[in-house]
Amino acid sequence: MRVAGAHVRAGLVLALLVAAHFTLRPMLGDSRLTPDFVLVALLFFAIRVRPAWGAVAGLLVGIVTDSVSPTAFGAAALALTIVGYAAGWLKAVVFADNLLVNALFVFSAAWVRDVIQALVSRQLEGGALAWQLLALSPMAAGATALAAVVTLMVFRSWLRQAGA
Amino acid sequence: MATGSDRFASRADTTVFVVCVVVSLVALALPAGLKEPIAGALRSTVLYPILAVQRRAARSAEAREGLAAVRAQRDSLLLETTFLPELRAENARLRALLGLGGRLGQGFVTGEVLHQSGVADGMTLVLSVGRDEGVEPFSPVLTARGLLGLVRTADAGTSIALAWTHPDFRASAMVEGTAVYGIVRPQRGERSGELMELVGVPYREQLAPGTQVVTSGLGGVFPRGIPLGTVQGTLTEATGWERTYVLRPAVHPAEAAHVMVMSPERAADTLAAEFDSARTVPDSVLVVRDSTGVRLLPAPAAPRRRLRPRPDTQPQSQPPLSAPPPALRRGPRR
Repeated sequence: MRVAGAHVRAGLVLALLVAAHFTLRPMLGDSRLTPDFVLVALLFFAIRVRPAWGAVAGLLVGIVTDSVSPTAFGAAALALTIVGYAAGWLKAVVFADNLLVNALFVFSAAWVRDVIQALVSRQLEGGALAWQLLALSPMAAGATALAAVVTLMVFRSWLRQAGA
Repeated sequence: MATGSDRFASRADTTVFVVCVVVSLVALALPAGLKEPIAGALRSTVLYPILAVQRRAARSAEAREGLAAVRAQRDSLLLETTFLPELRAENARLRALLGLGGRLGQGFVTGEVLHQSGVADGMTLVLSVGRDEGVEPFSPVLTARGLLGLVRTADAGTSIALAWTHPDFRASAMVEGTAVYGIVRPQRGERSGELMELVGVPYREQLAPGTQVVTSGLGGVFPRGIPLGTVQGTLTEATGWERTYVLRPAVHPAEAAHVMVMSPERAADTLAAEFDSARTVPDSVLVVRDSTGVRLLPAPAAPRRRLRPRPDTQPQSQPPLSAPPPALRRGPRR
């Protein structure tokens, strides 16, 4: 019963993150630098399940993401599949209460997602690609990591019980 | 963050992962004719409620941000509208005398850009208006400052627009008030996504920095007179043939929040007046070419001319829209 309750609470947090992505994020300014709450939700999900489920979740989220940019259809799916699987695979090195490690983990995942997506979609090149991957993507990844840390601080007990 | 167990991937996990990667690669390799229906089906089912929520949030954010400005504008407009009926009547009379059509008062819908996360945002944009509002594929997408792109696909409640930053984007362009034509496309390479290129300008036409480039109306997609950008400098010169110029865009997709989607039926119209370009450069000009480039001087005795015949009076002898503009058909001249 306790485990089921923990899963429900973790699911609520994930649902809140997805809702924040589509309601809170448009109000946070420049879309290139705002946090990706869906990615945070995906990572929180992936570290609680087997790597296979992380990959499947990443594929589904990626396909849905790709549907709004049909010229690069499949790029986000591939990127998030790899990130989802890697998050599940790396969960052993993510410490329970270390916010810094968690922030670094989310930052890396967001940046790697952008790198894969940018390289696979082949819509950027040269200096623009470098600018995207070395300036804009790290800033957006930083914002995403900050959002993850805030979420962890606010919902720490719910998330800890769910994964314990 | 909870750690979960410390087990690593099993063979089953790896198999599922490989299958997911293959599915992703298949999605990437799909032809455009298959990608579009799949993406459209997802947008109209799974994403429909999500985009509806985002649309409300974007409108709400815009309303909050612009409230003070809207109040100031309302007060200013109240003052200005005192004499509006007289001005409107006079304007209609004068435009009728000059043979000009009405200003942009219909044939467009307004909407919001629903920015998404990821690197693809800025090349393709999700708009909060769709087929239900009259949006069709190839509808021009404008902001108050200039051209943003064109609609690629229109769903029931949303649509996907191709921004000018997308590698596939092209627009027939002209230097405002002259017969200098060219094609505008996004610049590739170092400044990709930030600047435009004006290609195909005859070698003899030298454009000074700051010259405004607008849509030419050729091609039947974009109305004439929408600002595209201003000339920054020369990019390349194919000696004796053509020049390519770098343009600073009038509007950047990442900054766009509120847009107008025009009906394709307005493609034959001239929108120079709507963007106030007629104030800066008169319709009747003398094109002076000297060592400093092209300069535009008002033609003192020339009557105001119509930039483009109305569709109902278009002569049969006019070249087809797909034909290259006259300036491009002339032979090279040093």
